[in-house]
Amino acid sequence: MTSANSLLEALLINPAVLLSIGAFAGALLPNHLAYLRRPLYLVFILGSAVQLARLGLGSFGELALFGEPVTMLRIDPLARIFAVVFHIAAALTVVYAWDEKDRAQSFASLAYPAAALGGVTAGDLITLFVWWEVAAITSVFLVWAPGTRATFLSGMRYLVIQVLSGTLLLGGIVLVYRETGSLAFGEVGLRDETGAIKASGLILFLAIGIKAAFPLLHNWVQDAYPRSTIAGSIVLSIFTTKLAVASLARAFPGEEALIYIGAVMTIFPIFFALIENDLRKVLCYSINNQVGFMVCAIGFGQINGAAGYAFGNIIFEGLLFMALGAAMYRTGTSKATELGGLYRTMPITMGLCIVGAMSISAFPGTLGFVTKGLIIDAAGEAHMMWIWLVLLFASAGVLEHAGIKIPFFTFFAHDSGKRPSEAPMHMLIPMGISAFLCLFLGLFPGPLYSLMPDQEMIKEYHPYTAYHIVEQLQLLLWAVLAFAVLKLMKWYPAEVPSTNLDTDWFYRIPGRDLVMWAAAATGAIWNVLWRLFTGRFMQAMNRIYTVHGPEGQLARAWPTGFMALATAAVLGLVLILSFVA
Amino acid sequence: MNDHHTTDEKPGWADTPQFRKWFLRILIGASVLSALAGFVPAFKKDHPHFALEAFPIFFAIWGFGAFMFIVLVGQHLRKLVGREEGYYDERE
Repeated sequence: MTSANSLLEALLINPAVLLSIGAFAGALLPNHLAYLRRPLYLVFILGSAVQLARLGLGSFGELALFGEPVTMLRIDPLARIFAVVFHIAAALTVVYAWDEKDRAQSFASLAYPAAALGGVTAGDLITLFVWWEVAAITSVFLVWAPGTRATFLSGMRYLVIQVLSGTLLLGGIVLVYRETGSLAFGEVGLRDETGAIKASGLILFLAIGIKAAFPLLHNWVQDAYPRSTIAGSIVLSIFTTKLAVASLARAFPGEEALIYIGAVMTIFPIFFALIENDLRKVLCYSINNQVGFMVCAIGFGQINGAAGYAFGNIIFEGLLFMALGAAMYRTGTSKATELGGLYRTMPITMGLCIVGAMSISAFPGTLGFVTKGLIIDAAGEAHMMWIWLVLLFASAGVLEHAGIKIPFFTFFAHDSGKRPSEAPMHMLIPMGISAFLCLFLGLFPGPLYSLMPDQEMIKEYHPYTAYHIVEQLQLLLWAVLAFAVLKLMKWYPAEVPSTNLDTDWFYRIPGRDLVMWAAAATGAIWNVLWRLFTGRFMQAMNRIYTVHGPEGQLARAWPTGFMALATAAVLGLVLILSFVA
Repeated sequence: MNDHHTTDEKPGWADTPQFRKWFLRILIGASVLSALAGFVPAFKKDHPHFALEAFPIFFAIWGFGAFMFIVLVGQHLRKLVGREEGYYDERE
């Protein structure tokens, strides 16, 4: 068993634990010192980043837990690229919500990224499970932050789904341990040597699949994220799904099923995003679509593509969320029907949003271009033409909903008549840094590539080849041209205030009705059984009472003569028996 | 929040006919140039994975077609899944 000292040492060396301590320290600050919370968080994020850099690559915090070795901190190249971008994202979101005073929300906005960081740097399955659950529990405070009944219900649904994922993960871990006798978090695989699907792999696959928002398991993202506060939804959009991507890349690299699952993920959200009026929900569908590209990359075994695109996506999707959030901060709405024309008074936010939009669309010169190409190329290398076509189709879809719809309906389109001020400085700074990263790493991807897990492969990859630029420009420019034609011909559908049903309908309406019916039926059956039982019981009690009660026959005082007679009868019986014997 | 409605202001730069005209011209020009670039042998892949890649304007056609398909076909999804805005509020 591990000594208390070595456990404490293993905990304190861990950047995720440092961030968690920071989150608690900030939460414990009294209200009159609330203004110190965000600077304190930045100090802890910086400290954690320094610790990450100081440790370098390797395994740390190795302990024995009930006789089993566990590695609480493993910084390998896969973990490192996620850890670096998680630090950047955590710092940007802390600055973005600089004026946020709510204690629970502020706590969650650092404790939740800390948990995600702990998850990606976990070297064993038990540590992964702990951080997995901590991420679920801390993030729900962000969903609940607005404090309405709708957000409470949504948060409960979110929590149930996240805890289900955690429970499955634990089940998978038990089965993996039974199979391998080890708790190490490495490649698990979906199939055994004979090619049959193994239970341990399948359960782990499902557990991670829920968090990655696989098709049909995806709708918790759209249900929960857009209900949070402006800053809360940005924080939420970054970590959970990327923790799942990192876990998939570690446990199921090269699993063919992921190619098809990822391809479906890139396609279906495009259509839901097209008809969605709430632009924050549009971006949530965009998360599904973007994670689809990463899942596909893992299926191809192209871990550089998955990790690189996750890095890029956190920056440019975060930028879109932040720009939309700034518009919402100033106007109070994220509905396309209520926005429009904001470019007049929010030109800087508009410009930064367009950088994010171009980056997510993967225009040459942006972060999207130098990372997405790895994934599309992987489909080509695998000679899977239909998947390659699907990914190109989905790229046009990304341009539609994230590249055009978000900036167009927020800042242009019809004039909403709203003339809000430019976004506040604490929002402009993180947006500016994100836009800078989109362009700088887009033009000079060297620093990003140096973080990628497979250095042999990335050395051979050159994004700025003439054909790659021409192909991408053709795809995107002609797609923009299609948008122009649709607008000129008035064929582009107008935004309509509506609720679009998705898979959550099944558990929110018929599922809820079924549960309510089951609860009512159980109640009714219980009542009948209770009445039946209490009826019989009371009947029996009444009979006993009648005989033994104060008025009952057996409670009567018996006369002495009766006793003398009974004694004589007994004596007579004894005499007869003696005579016979 | 300090938004207010204005009625007698000048149209913003993005709403002027000149901007729209120039935006369209530049877009069409750039699109045509990108398509023409597909015909330049130096801009072609040495070893394309698929025959489609070798077709000079394949990516232009696929991008244009995909966008058209997504918008023209995708909007009908609203008929299937679209409900009034307060759909869940009334039921939960």
